[in-house]
Amino acid sequence: MSLLEIKNAKLKLNDKDILKGLSLSVNKGEVHAIMGPNGSGKSTLSYMLAGRGGYDLESGEILLDGQSLLEMEADERARSGLFLAFQYPVELPGVGGMSFLREAVNSRRKFLGKEELDHLAFVKEARKVASKMFVKDEMLKRAVNVGFSGGEKKRFEILQMAMLKPKISILDETDSGLDVDALKIVSDGVNAERNDDNAIVVITHYQRLLDYIVPDFVHILSDGNIIKTGGPELALEVEKNGYAGLINAA
Amino acid sequence: MLHNAKDKYITSVKDYVSQFEENSFRKLASNDFNSWPSPREETWRLSRLGVLSRKEITPIIPNSKKKVSSVSKFTGSTIIRFVDGALREDLSSKLPPGSSLDILGEEDSLTCFHKFKDSNLKDHPSTNVSFSCTPSIVKLTIEKNISIGGFFEIIYEGGDENLSVHPALYIELKDNSSITIIERFNHLSSLIMPLQLVELKQNASMNSLKIFNDNQQSYNLSANCTFLSDKSNYNSFSLIKGGLFTRSETHAYLKGENCSLNLNGVYLSSKNQHHDLTTAIYHDVPNCTSKQIVRGVLGGKSTGVFQGKVRVAPDAQKTDGQQMSRAILLSENAIANAKPELEIYADDVICAHGATVGEIDDEQLFYLKSRGILEKKAKQILITAFLNDIINESVEESVQNFVFEEAELALSEIISKEI
Ligand SMILES: Nc1ncnc2c1ncn2[C@@H]1O[C@H](COP(=O)(O)OP(=O)(O)OP(=O)(O)O)[C@@H](O)[C@H]1O
Ligand SMILES: [Mg+2]
Repeated sequence: MSLLEIKNAKLKLNDKDILKGLSLSVNKGEVHAIMGPNGSGKSTLSYMLAGRGGYDLESGEILLDGQSLLEMEADERARSGLFLAFQYPVELPGVGGMSFLREAVNSRRKFLGKEELDHLAFVKEARKVASKMFVKDEMLKRAVNVGFSGGEKKRFEILQMAMLKPKISILDETDSGLDVDALKIVSDGVNAERNDDNAIVVITHYQRLLDYIVPDFVHILSDGNIIKTGGPELALEVEKNGYAGLINAA
Repeated sequence: MLHNAKDKYITSVKDYVSQFEENSFRKLASNDFNSWPSPREETWRLSRLGVLSRKEITPIIPNSKKKVSSVSKFTGSTIIRFVDGALREDLSSKLPPGSSLDILGEEDSLTCFHKFKDSNLKDHPSTNVSFSCTPSIVKLTIEKNISIGGFFEIIYEGGDENLSVHPALYIELKDNSSITIIERFNHLSSLIMPLQLVELKQNASMNSLKIFNDNQQSYNLSANCTFLSDKSNYNSFSLIKGGLFTRSETHAYLKGENCSLNLNGVYLSSKNQHHDLTTAIYHDVPNCTSKQIVRGVLGGKSTGVFQGKVRVAPDAQKTDGQQMSRAILLSENAIANAKPELEIYADDVICAHGATVGEIDDEQLFYLKSRGILEKKAKQILITAFLNDIINESVEESVQNFVFEEAELALSEIISKEI
């Protein structure tokens, strides 16, 4: 059984067809990359998976570990082990980073039947993970994402991933806005979380990220459908020749 | 002028003052109370008082033996208690050196009355009714160069069904003095009409925190008139959460240069409550700043009103006036009105204002939920953050926790019903 199974997903936004019967299977231990032109529906796919309001499927099915996600709200999907690193992380004025993380982590732990972490244990854990991601303690004291630089926001997303230990992570353009060093740090952070029981879907425009996070499969998403699937070499082809040839061939 | 004879309250106020001399401040005040403000008057359009003329209310005769029920929330504060609108010296603390509390005689009361009548609160019902019916005008004076450490806690309570209460407090801060005053309104009365006159002399500085938490059936029509002299500083925060109808109206006159004013407030409204923060800031001289942040959270069938007038006189160059209001509606049946009103007659000024009314931000809510946080909890986090922001900014650190807790109680009441 696949960890994540998307079957023939169709979705409209404002009466416009955005996802047009997309299917994808992700098994445990795998890394999938999704590439595709601007506006092809990559973020829509990620919002749909995460359960954002207004992004309900018109038809199709999504299963996580064999369980349908369609009837679940965003929070339940997250507690069940689905994580989305946002392309544009949202600022939360007045919400302290540390208490936000703690609330999130304890929601997940409770769901898994684990004991909630008390304040001290939590702070210790958060600092440990943060230091691996080169996120300064000071940043955790600030309001979530408020005044963070583009790169800091992305790093904070991966920090959340590392703390929540999801089964499946969807990283929507986590590499954009990162400088070369940060790209390495973030990729190391992601790789450190990889194991035989989870899987990662990275959405990216740049082949460079895939040198660090080496994918098992690369998919090309165009106009609401996956038009081609291959190995890492497909990303190199896109880098060299662009999408036009692939789209015409499909 | 003839008054509406069918309005029993107006008659009862006139009866109350009949014992006083013709030119006493009470008589003068009562002569001007002949009707409730009409909804045709712009400042009363959104907060209507019509129902008061159909109630059988009479001014209270204070019971000087009444036991109190509100306990002090702070250790070491200087407590001043008003019960049934009357000062209870027997239940108040000894005042710190440099401060004094006096009951004004006829002449000083008349002066105080005229100060109100010279302001734009002259027609406010509380002005005319409370000057008529107050047990006495109490004056708190802080002497020159005195900085009061700690703070004053003024607790208002008492009153009863079908009775109106009329506490009147005149606060004068002489040159270079400073004080923090926390006022808590915990009345049981049907109608509460507090009056407050604040005079800040040169370089005086006052932090004022007001918590409106009267009984769920009461009408509170609070009228505050504040005068600021050179280099003085008035920093005020009101939390409105109680009463059936609470309107806190403040008029601030910036009369001296280089003074600064903060008039911030939060209202937390549920069920069929009506909460109203009305302010008027008069920049009469150059080089002053005023800043206002107002936030509201509403559930049930409640209504919130913010009316903020800022008037910048032609001479008041280099005025900096900022005003921001935001309300979050948690129920489809709640209503929030924001009415900024800027009258700017000077050209070299910075004045900004903004008002928004809306629901909880969708994107923020989704972001929290996408981290596994239950919707209910996520909403609570966002609303709490919305309030923490302004409380942190408006209230001095040592009392922030008290204000958070007071807000938290009202908030959980609203949230438990809505989400
Ligand atoms: N609310 C909406 N109503 C109608 N169309 C929408 C709505 N939101 C997004 N779209 C459209 O859906 C399409 C897919 O958008 P999406 O954000 O998924 O693209 P993307 O592949 O993530 O692009 P990028 O690479 O630029 O991030 C775009 O054409 C976009 O304009
Ligand atoms: Mg996108």
